[in-house]
Amino acid sequence: MSQKINLRVWLKIPDAEAATVKNTLVRRMGYGNFLSDVKKERLFSIEVDSGDPQELAKSFARELVNENKESHKVLVDELVFDEGYVPVKVALHIEDGEAISTRDRLRNRLGFGNVLDVKKATIWKLYFKTLKPEAEIKAREIAERLLINPHKDTYEILSQ
Amino acid sequence: MKIAVLQFPGTNCEFETLVAVKAVGMDGEIFRWNRSAAELSGFDGFVIPGGFSYQDRVRAGAIAAKEPVMSALKEEAGKGKPIIGICNGFQILVETGLLPGKAKGNANAGTNEFRVNSSATGSGSNNVDMALAQNVMVTQGKIVRRGYYCDWVALRHEAPSKRCCGTFALERGALVKIPIAHGEGNLVTTTPGLIKKLNENNQVVFRYCDKNGRVINEFPFNVNGSTESIAAICNEEGNVLGMMPHPERSFFAWQLPAFDPRKQRPDEPGPGRRIFESMKRYIEVNA
Repeated sequence: MSQKINLRVWLKIPDAEAATVKNTLVRRMGYGNFLSDVKKERLFSIEVDSGDPQELAKSFARELVNENKESHKVLVDELVFDEGYVPVKVALHIEDGEAISTRDRLRNRLGFGNVLDVKKATIWKLYFKTLKPEAEIKAREIAERLLINPHKDTYEILSQ
Repeated sequence: MKIAVLQFPGTNCEFETLVAVKAVGMDGEIFRWNRSAAELSGFDGFVIPGGFSYQDRVRAGAIAAKEPVMSALKEEAGKGKPIIGICNGFQILVETGLLPGKAKGNANAGTNEFRVNSSATGSGSNNVDMALAQNVMVTQGKIVRRGYYCDWVALRHEAPSKRCCGTFALERGALVKIPIAHGEGNLVTTTPGLIKKLNENNQVVFRYCDKNGRVINEFPFNVNGSTESIAAICNEEGNVLGMMPHPERSFFAWQLPAFDPRKQRPDEPGPGRRIFESMKRYIEVNA
């Protein structure tokens, strides 16, 4: 039976991309009254068919995370987030070349023969001044108006 | 005849584009993104040059598309003024909804109006009809390469002459050699019938081809995996052109690669010059 190792990775240093998204949403798209902050994570979902997932996760983190500038968190067969923000997962619905390259390198170059698949996504963490139902509606609007191009991306509001 | 060459943070081809504009006898200046957008109305035409506006954050062109200057540019496009987007400029025009044009909700870009998808998961609604996605190079059904690529490419002009502002002076079937340099030029769309419509309306302006003009829909001729080898499109009216190749980088013969014999005749015009000459002619004819 396969297991899914979710590796959440975020910058320890200021994230310029998240700052630009916040700036655009607040200054250009009228979300100043609703939005208080934007943060971003990278998500690797690595499916394996054998091995100790915690040990494997440590090995994957050594390859995929640069500890000088990034922090990470491992979740096995689950993907949960803290309260206080709306997590929006954005991924390609067309072929993701970077995910395929990562899978092939893990499997063929680095010897992780138990890797079945790798998926990549960006998690946008949207912090709102409003309460949850309205915040989720706003998060959906933001995803559709800025975070995705529907001709190549999909999004998902993740549960907490 | 005054042309605004738009500059966003991260644009990096504005100066050579301005040289090209001036070299065909048009007046022009760099127009910074944070200048009063209302000043755009004083120009007769616009070029959005290549580069990496806002470092391609979120995706290429997405942030620049939300700038007030793009809403003003949309108004100028509505007046029939010519707009040419080159590489990142093409990506910005797509993200703004100016290309291929007529997308649902176009008029709302840059405002706070929106449509909400009722499902928790979904591809969502947006004001764009297509995307310029990450390059995927395919040969004989196999992916042989991905991502950023730069090379000289042959292009076949697909539209009739006078159809589009940037190829006004080019005959249908004309071949031009222009360099490309991008990581996201793969035209994809989920809009049903869009490609068919673009073909029927002569909105496909250039396709990648081999040196004899044959369109071969695989790498190295189709350099980025673009649907039907499309390299450039225009809007229905023909006054907005988006193209991935860089005509300003083959404006003079001396810019051509060493293996091209025309390089030895540096006083001759390069193939990219015809794009800028076309723009000038388009303005003269439509004035």
